[in-house]
Amino acid sequence: MNDTSTEADTLEQLLARTAMGDRAAFEQLYRRTSPRLFGLCVRMMRERGEAEEVLQEAFISVWRRAGGYDPALASANTWLTTLVRNRAIDRLRQRREDARVDPLELEHLPEEGAGPAVHAEASEDYLRLRRCLEQLDAKYSRSVREAFFTGATYKELALRAQVPLATMKSWIRRALMQLRTCLET
Amino acid sequence: MNTPADGDNGDLRYAEYVLGVLEADERAVLERELAAHGAAAESEALWRRRLAPLAEESVPEAPPERLWLRIRAALEFDAAGSRGGSLWENLRLWHWLSFGSAALLAAACAALVFVIVHRPAAPPIPYMAATITETSGQVGWTATMDIGKARMIVVPAAPQAVRPGRAPELWLIPEGGRPMAVGLISVRAPVTLALSASLVSRLGPTARLAVSIEPHGGSPTGQPTGPVVAAGEIGAAPAGTTPATALRLVDPAQRPI
Repeated sequence: MNDTSTEADTLEQLLARTAMGDRAAFEQLYRRTSPRLFGLCVRMMRERGEAEEVLQEAFISVWRRAGGYDPALASANTWLTTLVRNRAIDRLRQRREDARVDPLELEHLPEEGAGPAVHAEASEDYLRLRRCLEQLDAKYSRSVREAFFTGATYKELALRAQVPLATMKSWIRRALMQLRTCLET
Repeated sequence: MNTPADGDNGDLRYAEYVLGVLEADERAVLERELAAHGAAAESEALWRRRLAPLAEESVPEAPPERLWLRIRAALEFDAAGSRGGSLWENLRLWHWLSFGSAALLAAACAALVFVIVHRPAAPPIPYMAATITETSGQVGWTATMDIGKARMIVVPAAPQAVRPGRAPELWLIPEGGRPMAVGLISVRAPVTLALSASLVSRLGPTARLAVSIEPHGGSPTGQPTGPVVAAGEIGAAPAGTTPATALRLVDPAQRPI
């Protein structure tokens, strides 16, 4: 018809056009962001079949809820990451409830999660966050990463780390306070 | 933990919420706060911006092509006609007519109006309609397009108020194409907009209407720059709006009865 989308479109523009029901923009948004988002799903679900289901559900929500995206509050990347992560967390919690898995038996993550592809394409925001995480006590940063990628609650994190609930709460809260200070400077 | 969300402690609760460490009941409490208080939503959004980049520690991996096909299928992109199930939207006629001339489209509209209103005595009147629904699910505006006179009347139902200095702008989005500006509309009063030949030729059930919030005077770029607050497909008139009432707003002389 008239103009079609080009590589020059930002993700924010693609998302705005998706909100208006533009399928071509939606497909381009999917093509541009799905490898990164699928990587996140695989990392969180630890199983490709379920990772595919999470990404499918997430993009169906993107199509239906793109109108709720407010560029003043978050970048398109942040919005998409949050949406995908929330779907994955819902699934993970459901999985634990269904299986009645003892949280102690849940998988532990590698200490440092950075994968080989990260450093070439890492964003400024990530590099800053990483520098701040490196300044934390190792058990704090490990707990933050574990929470982020497994969707574990305080209670589950405490069981896994074999510390009292209050201790885990104070680790995470101190980590968050220190991150906030570090990221603001 | 359940102290009011103010000050430092409150801000940390949003961080805990974003990180995902709260139990379901605590999450529910926070979600109610976020929905009710703009300041809470901003604190939460700030924490999302701070923490989301951690996702870059996962290794990118292209999903299999079947996943995109499944998404397309789930959203019924490949279905003939369009999404939705009304008679109007499902008529296969539209499928080829949307590529035809405006005159043919107008004639088809007349025929469909005839079918839908069951009013054999009324003269055929070429018009189309769209219900423009806000993201909350509330109807924001209804639009009625008078093809013969190349104009559109946009009537506010119950749209959200717009901040001072901002204005709602209406866009037509042809399938696969960029948004085309139709004009500024109002949250209070009906507005009649003239349609260029280029806009008229793109009206049809594969096109959509959407409203974005723009600076006073309209988008400075010719493309939407603000948040999209409402959208709707072009098709049958909304429930409760008869062709007669819609057309009376457009032009009293055109009343079919």
